[in-house]
Amino acid sequence: MKTEQLIDLLARGAGPAQPALVARRLGPAACAGVLASAAIALGGIGPVPAAMVGAAALWIKLAYGGAMALAAAWLAGRLARPAAPAGAAAAGVLLVVGGMALVGTANLLGMPAAERLPALLGRSWASCPWFVVGLSLPALATALWALRGLAPTRPRLAGFAAGLFAGALGALGYALACREISPAFVAVWYTVGIGITALLGAALGPRVLRW
Amino acid sequence: MPDNANQNEPESGLRTLWLRAQAGDEAAYREALLLIASRLRGFLRHRMQSAPDDVEDLVQETLLALHLQRGTYERSLPIGAWVVAIARHKLVDLWRRRGRRDALHETLDDVDEALLVAEHEEGGTRRDLEKLLLALPVAQRQAIWLTKVDGLSVAEAAARTGASPSAIKVQVHRGMKRLADMVKD
Repeated sequence: MKTEQLIDLLARGAGPAQPALVARRLGPAACAGVLASAAIALGGIGPVPAAMVGAAALWIKLAYGGAMALAAAWLAGRLARPAAPAGAAAAGVLLVVGGMALVGTANLLGMPAAERLPALLGRSWASCPWFVVGLSLPALATALWALRGLAPTRPRLAGFAAGLFAGALGALGYALACREISPAFVAVWYTVGIGITALLGAALGPRVLRW
Repeated sequence: MPDNANQNEPESGLRTLWLRAQAGDEAAYREALLLIASRLRGFLRHRMQSAPDDVEDLVQETLLALHLQRGTYERSLPIGAWVVAIARHKLVDLWRRRGRRDALHETLDDVDEALLVAEHEEGGTRRDLEKLLLALPVAQRQAIWLTKVDGLSVAEAAARTGASPSAIKVQVHRGMKRLADMVKD
């Protein structure tokens, strides 16, 4: 088939380009991912005690996870488009991490020095990141699938963004079951978990995001 | 050799065509793809000097990818940059499939796309897309043939096959995606 014939074929009946394609793929991926994370966390670990529901700690975790998910979704959306600049979106992610770090630091500074390290470590610092990673895996699968149907020309970075996104969704689910109360704990150990998922995404990106 | 000096369309001409194409103007889309194809040819010939017989195949593969990924274009992106990013992705993928490890580390120099010469004369292809089309599953092949070769509308094609109009659209899209997968050796 000559190229001009191929062009005739492509153009005929082509219609308009699909609107909001990126959102239409990332949106369902996010919903499926966060639902899976919440279901596994609630079913597998169990919901937080009722007393925590009104307290600040739960809402801080949800706010952090939510903000990170939005920032990471923005970044992933940029990286899903060939030649689209992603600097502002990357800065957005850093802002979210930095903001949470500030909240955590302020909280630590407001306590007596002797209480700071125990608050930072909580009771589950060694396991928390791994719970976040585990709960992020369904979301990582759906996020990578969503990106595969788009056009990521920087697959390692796109995989990293997918991992950030999935990690944030995993953290949102984990927040429903996590009994820790220190914002500094969240700023460090939730971020470590999200970061590990991001690195996993970056490792998978070049292999999975082929189109 | 064709005189290439005066055949560089200004970026704004292509951009106007492309934006109309994005909105659904099929004639503009066809014109835009023809322009893009000749630029792609020049771009790829420059980078595939060790594999000149593969250039036209890669032009076709890239055009298919551009078509399938139209939804990832947005107005703030320069058309040339968007096209070149996709072409480079396809080129790197070709080198990877061919096992050319050295080419992966090749610094793809940032040639200013506006300086690229348009090459209107098509090269020969190794692979025949028409054969690949005929190898598609029946529903996909039929939907593509009726709407894109015979030029029926979606409604007419639906009436002819007994499928719903949205099923026709889905089969066309799936068929084009399958075609894009099949062109990878």
